Amino acid sequence: MAERIAKGQQRQKELVDELVSNIMETAAPLIDGETSTEALDAAARDVHERIQFEANLALSEVVTRFSRGKAAEKEAEQKERTFIRFGPNFRAQHILMFVSVIILIITGMPLKFPELAVSKFVVISLLGGLENSTLIHRIGATGLIIVGVWHLFYIALSRTGRRDFFLMIPRPRDIKDFLHTVLYYIGRRSSGPRFGRFSFIEKFDYWAVYWGMVIMIGSGIILWFKEYFPKYLYDIGREAHSDEGLLATLAIVIWHFYNVHLNPEVFPMSWVWWHGKLSEEEIKHHHPLEYAKIVEAEREAIEAEQAVPQAAGETSDTLGKET
Amino acid sequence: MTRLTTYGYCLLTVLLFSAAQAAPQKCLLCHGKKDLTKQEETGRTVSLYVDTAQLQMTVHADRDCADCHIDIVEIPHKQVRKVNCRRCHYTGNPVGAPEGELYDQYEHSVHGIEVARGNPRAPVCQDCHGSHDIIRHDLAASKMYKQNIPQTCGRCHIEVYADYRESVHGMALARGIMDSPSCASCHGEHNIQRPEEPGSKVSAANVTGTCSDCHGPMGVASKYGIKTDRTVTFEESFHGVAQMMESRMVANCASCHGYHDVRSHDDPKSSVYPDNIPATCGKPGCHPEATVSFASGKIHIDPKSKESGILYYISRFFMILTASTLAGLFVFIVLDLFRRARKARAKR
Repeated sequence: MAERIAKGQQRQKELVDELVSNIMETAAPLIDGETSTEALDAAARDVHERIQFEANLALSEVVTRFSRGKAAEKEAEQKERTFIRFGPNFRAQHILMFVSVIILIITGMPLKFPELAVSKFVVISLLGGLENSTLIHRIGATGLIIVGVWHLFYIALSRTGRRDFFLMIPRPRDIKDFLHTVLYYIGRRSSGPRFGRFSFIEKFDYWAVYWGMVIMIGSGIILWFKEYFPKYLYDIGREAHSDEGLLATLAIVIWHFYNVHLNPEVFPMSWVWWHGKLSEEEIKHHHPLEYAKIVEAEREAIEAEQAVPQAAGETSDTLGKET
Repeated sequence: MTRLTTYGYCLLTVLLFSAAQAAPQKCLLCHGKKDLTKQEETGRTVSLYVDTAQLQMTVHADRDCADCHIDIVEIPHKQVRKVNCRRCHYTGNPVGAPEGELYDQYEHSVHGIEVARGNPRAPVCQDCHGSHDIIRHDLAASKMYKQNIPQTCGRCHIEVYADYRESVHGMALARGIMDSPSCASCHGEHNIQRPEEPGSKVSAANVTGTCSDCHGPMGVASKYGIKTDRTVTFEESFHGVAQMMESRMVANCASCHGYHDVRSHDDPKSSVYPDNIPATCGKPGCHPEATVSFASGKIHIDPKSKESGILYYISRFFMILTASTLAGLFVFIVLDLFRRARKARAKR
């Protein structure tokens, strides 16, 4: 941007210099030789016209320059490629999920630690009593259930969802990657493992959430409709709900927050959840194998594209021959 | 004439000297007769007999009739007002009558408030403590003796007394188990309040604490082989947690076990007898849609105890899962930070 401004200023200076020298050229013979008022008047008119003409020219040039500059900037932006990591559907799932989970944690945790003053403050003072907090908890629960069902449809019906789900399945390579990472972290390897679209860490996160959803929704439904379940199932449901709730909360607060908020690389927050994009540099660094695949696919596509018109030409040729 | 005067002086002297002792004697001329009665306006016949032997056993043995019955100044007397105990029993009294906050509490109790409002059926001191038979409360003859309190209260609260007498508490107390609660153990004494009052010992907010005094971990119930972890398991249950969150809709001890009619869970009449539990859970306002299976299984269940079976193992499983997962993640974060620090140092 600064470079462009400097260029613009340079050009402006050039134009002004040019203008001045042009005017001086036009005016010089008139001012030098003639002394009659008529001639001087004509010369002045001439100079005036000249100035107007040059000014218009300069203005139009600046305008074209400016618009061309914008286009140039766009061009440059396109050159700095971004890669879609999460599509709008997936991002919407994540947003609904974290809104629901925040609601659930705020209304759920106080009941795990009822003796704490902060729990009482949240439930009694902030939310106006247990009746309200349990209602809000059920609203959050509805959101989470919707996300769960939505995601199942997404991985079953959407092409991206299906592809990503298969990529999420753990493979022996993940164990190798994990060991490699540990060795790298403790300084026994000079570089970390090269990941594909999903690293073992991301797979762990995904399946942890999967497990959490199954436990929390399953046990939550028992608690919600307790009258229709036997007491021992209620007890199991309550224990599981309470314990898994704490585990999930701690995992989110410690692990997920470290990865997407507190990690020095992304602090204060990674915005991928919002725009869903990775820069070329980011994808090269974090998902080199995926990047390699994309580049390979693109190369093939270009080759195919180049091959197509040739083929089309040939067919038209043959067609022409036939007719 | 002089002789008569002398007799007169003598009589006067004797009368004056023996006035203190003579006064009860004088009253007892009439009130010592067992058949002395009066007819009340309502038609009820009230005995006016005062048992001197009993009077001598009371805490007021050294008091005169007129010390309390101050409105009697002539004999015979007609309308006698009720004795006001507060004439002596007030804070800072000079005659050495017991005093203290107990006496002040009464005025703020449900009984005191009702009396102040002019309810003729509300009790004053002597309705519970007696009048000519006020005996130290640790003596078996006292109306305030623990075993006698139910009858004393039951004179007015007759239906409650009927329930209580058959309850596990009433039966135990009657059998002589003095740790078993009487009315006052739960309701308080001079400070009795309506259960609806938040300050009442038996209000929805406080009844659990009142039961816990005996049935809690430090409670006396353990002496009799009664499980004392019940209050703890209650506090950890949803009902207990909701109560801590000041919800008054949830069940407290009394909601399931009853209160005046608390019975052992072995008693088929008990609300917590296994066959009766579904109905108890299904009370209107609680879980009316509850099925029989809803109420099946242990109620006061402790996931931390091995006796709880599968629940114990689930609780254990999650404890290990949580600890190991978080420890792993934590180590991973620390290692990652170390790596970054090393890299940053190397760059410098």
